[in-house]
Formats: sequence, structure tokens, C-alpha cells
Amino acid sequence: MRSDRPPLLLTFGAIGGLLFLHLPILLIFLYAFTTEEKSFAFPPPGLTTEWFGVAWNRADIWPPLWLSLKVAAISSGLAIILGTLCAAAMSRARFFGRDTISLLVILPIALPGIITGMSLRSAFAMADIPFSTLTIVLGHATFCIVIVYNNAVARFRRLGTSLSEASADLGATTFQTFRHVILPNLGTALLAGAMLAFALSFDEVIVTTFTAGQQKTMPIWMLDELVRPRQRPVTNVVAIVVFAATFLPILAAYYLTGGGEETAGGGK
Amino acid sequence: MTTAVEFSSVSRHFGAPDRLVKAVDQVDLVIEEGSFFAMLGPSGSGKTTCLRLISGFELPSAGEIRIFGENCSDVPPNRRNVNTVFQDYALFPHMTVRDNVAYGLMVKGIDRRTRRSRADDMLALVKLEGFGDRKPAQLSGGQRQRVALARALVNEPRVLLLDEPLGALDLKLREAMQDELKSLQKRLGITFVFVTHDQGEALSMADRVAVFNQGKVAQVGSPSDIYERPATRFVADFVGSSNVLPPDLTRAFGGPAEWASLRPEALRLVASAGARVTGRVTALRYLGAGTRVALESYGQELAVLAPAGSALPETGAEVGLDWDAKSLHMMAGA
Repeated sequence: MRSDRPPLLLTFGAIGGLLFLHLPILLIFLYAFTTEEKSFAFPPPGLTTEWFGVAWNRADIWPPLWLSLKVAAISSGLAIILGTLCAAAMSRARFFGRDTISLLVILPIALPGIITGMSLRSAFAMADIPFSTLTIVLGHATFCIVIVYNNAVARFRRLGTSLSEASADLGATTFQTFRHVILPNLGTALLAGAMLAFALSFDEVIVTTFTAGQQKTMPIWMLDELVRPRQRPVTNVVAIVVFAATFLPILAAYYLTGGGEETAGGGK
Repeated sequence: MTTAVEFSSVSRHFGAPDRLVKAVDQVDLVIEEGSFFAMLGPSGSGKTTCLRLISGFELPSAGEIRIFGENCSDVPPNRRNVNTVFQDYALFPHMTVRDNVAYGLMVKGIDRRTRRSRADDMLALVKLEGFGDRKPAQLSGGQRQRVALARALVNEPRVLLLDEPLGALDLKLREAMQDELKSLQKRLGITFVFVTHDQGEALSMADRVAVFNQGKVAQVGSPSDIYERPATRFVADFVGSSNVLPPDLTRAFGGPAEWASLRPEALRLVASAGARVTGRVTALRYLGAGTRVALESYGQELAVLAPAGSALPETGAEVGLDWDAKSLHMMAGA
């Protein structure tokens, strides 16, 4: 049937759109291998792998990398616990103000990062809390919880209550039901949520600038580097690392939840 | 005989006081040990809520439920010696069939070898030997139903609850499972309480039937009581679609001025001349084993089940009716 085939113009339009979205990323990879260090010229005058070695030996790269990994790990860990508990409460209990609370939980992800950042900064200042890893973690946890929550709520909804009832009917206590029935069915959704949260936390800039003080996370270090034209390709090498650290978890989350139908909130 | 389950004016109400939904309203029931008890009724009649009151997933708003004499109004589901076969089976999708069946033993802390062998025994009982290593998703609907049955029975419950157990099966399988459930119940001697909206299923399987209507029990009795001697207009109509005669029509049929029921198969078509009651045929419905003849008499719709092979009237024809006086049943609770 002719009507099954899209018109040629639409096909080219779609391909063009995808190229426009993704070619710049390939350029980032390409410039990590360029021999020109002060500016990004296309085409690169020559190709080299020396920048990987240079990046490895640069002492100022490691502290931001560790800080970012630490913050991402702690905030996604926090998110798993709090997000799951919250999702369990929301999907199983019916109480007054439930819809309002549900909205308040999701709000941080809808709120522009700059608002979240500003409000947290002024709150920290008011409470006299000095900037530390903890303040960055708290900032990131605001949106990490939402990611885990959204994933867990979707899975709870799909699970329904009949499996829990069957378990209780067969003599299981609430804890046994959670351990043997809920958790195994929730596991992939939680892991997916945590991976997305990790990826989002790892490359977060806006909230971090407000809650980090003098500390530098990986993306903030990169932002600083871009202003200074010194060994520019090193920044691109780091960009590849950041890309891997955020893209791979998202990809894994996509497959864990069966084609991404449930990986909600990947858009922040 | 011991009483397995007893309801004493049990009510279960939902919702705010100003918009109260009386799902179960002042129900009294006695279910004897070892019986096959059916709760029959249309959807929303309260039968499933009653089942959930026995399993403990609902708690009564008023009244008292006793299981083997013990008041269990405050006992949570996991501490009741009662197991359920759920309507959607609710098998654990991440476990093998054997682990599903052994689940009740596992949470009680019984060792792996014992529970494995008992689960396999149960699978043999429901004719699923060799299916232990499969996942529920790899089974057909009928097989899943048997797994759900085995999973409940392995706990040796004193009462087994079945929520529309055959609802999801096709007709042929449903009939086979009806016979199987019945013989299984006989063999094990466990009290079976099952919920159904299918009157044929209730009549053919149960020893006793409770007919539910709008949260109340309309009648409790043996299948033949329910069918032949319905207590109310609702029961007469719901179970076997009986002809419900208002008092003046009952008079025309030779009875007292009371509500009565008359089964379609108890009516015989005869020549209109000299017949005690006559009517005009409005429709014919072929059923295979017979034909349902709808006719109008004294301004009232009546149904006659004409056996296969008998001469059928034309639509619009005037026919006479004959019946045995004893098949006209007066309904006291109409």
C-alpha cells in the first residue's frame, strides 16, 4: 500500500532533525582528539590521543570527579529510600490531602532549577548551614526523590493489591510480603529510578551552583574550563567521561523497565 | 455438625455517613463444616464482600463473625486458618509454580525439602505434575487456576474461599473444573465457600446456596429449595428466570391471592379451547434442548419451556396452558 510509506520530504525532515540534535555531540567527541588546543577549528588540523594522558595527569580533575560521584551516589541512595516509602504510601493509602501531597512531591522537578537553587540557598543561609557536600546532596535529593518516586508509583500501580492480599492470605506478615513479593517486583523499577537519579545528579549545574559554595563538581569544573582557553581538548575528554557516566545508566534504566514505558521524569 | 463460619447480624458499610453504601447489611449466615457453600447473587449484591469478611480483608462495621466458634473480627488475614483462591488467581509472577505453591509453607518457616515435597504432592493432586519449574506466565488459564488451588490447599485450611473461581475459564473447561472441584471437596472434606453470579454453577456444585440481593441474604437453602421453592420474587427471577405471578394472576392460575412462582418447564402448551388459562405467543427463542416460548396472558409476560421435539405454536397464535397444581409455589417473603 502506498499510504504505508511516509512522503520523502517527511523522511528527510526527520533525518535532518535527528542529525541536528545529535551531530553536535559527535563534535564534542571529535574535538577530544584534535591537535589544536586553543580553539575548536573544523576540520581539526590533526588527530591525537595525547589529551587522554594529559587529562589523567591533571590533578585538578580528580577532586571534582570524586565529589560528583559521591554526591550522585548519596543523593540517589537517599532517593531510593525516601522515594519508595513515599510511593508506597501514596499508592496504597487513601487519606485527606493525598492529591495535594502528591503534587508537592512532584513539584521540585517541575520547578525551574534556578528557583530550587535560590530557595535552598536562602534557606541554608537562614539556618546558618555552611556549604558542604551535604548541602549539594540536599539540593540534588529534591529532584532525585521525584525520579524514584515516579518510577516506583507506576510499578506499584501495575502491581495492584491482589498479590499483597494473596501473600497475606497465605499467612505472610507485612514484612514477609514486602520482602518476598513487593520488593522482587519493584526491584527493576527502583534500580532504574536510582540510575536515572544518579545520571541527573552527576551532570546537574544550576541547583549545584547555588548550593556548592566554593566546591566544584564535575560539570561546574567543565563550565569554568570552557572560559579559560588552556588545554581545551581536556575538557572534551572529561565531557566523554561525563557522557558515559550519565548515558549508560539511563540506557540501562531504559532496558530494565522494558522499553522505558515507566522511566518517567528523564527530562530534567 | 460443627459450624465452620457464622455471621451474626454482620454489616459492612462504606463511605461517609451521609452517603452510606451498605455493601453487606445485617447478614446472618451459618456455614456447616464440610459443606460446599455457594454465595450467589448479581454483581454488587454483597457476596464478594462477605467472602472478604471471612478472609479478613474487610472488617465488619457491625456484628460478629465466628470461624469455628472463635470471634475473629480483629484477627488479621495472615492469622486466619482460611485460604482464598482469588478471581484473578494472583499468582506471584516472579516465582516458579512450585515456589508459588510452597509460599504459605515458606512464610511459616518450614524447611526447604519438606515444602518442596508437599508442594509437589499438591501439584499432583491438581494434576499438574512436572509443572513445578515453570513460571505462571507459561501456563494456560485453567492451569493457573489449578496452581492457585494447590497454593491455597497446601496450607490445609479448614475453610477454602473461592472468589468466582471459574469465571475466567471457557465453557468446556468450566464444566470440567466444576466436577473436579466438587470431587476434590468431597475427598478433602474441607469446607468450601464460593462466590458466583452463575446460578447454574451454584445449583450444580453447592450443598447449600445463599442468594444475595442488595447486601442482604434473600434466601438460604439447598439448591432444590432455592430453585423449587424461592422465598422471594427476586430469588424466583434470578435463579432460573421463573415466572413471577402477581396475586391476581395467581388467582387465575387457581391459587390464593398471593405472589407465586411458576417454572417455565412446569408449564405445558395445550390447545386453547377448554384450557384453564390462555395466552398469545409473542416470541420464540430456540435453546437447543428446548424452545422458550414467550406469551402474554392477563397483560402479564409468561415464559414456557417447550421440550425439544414438541409442536411449536406460531408467533401471535392463541395457546392454552396446563400445569400441575403442586408446581405453583407461593412466595411468603415476596
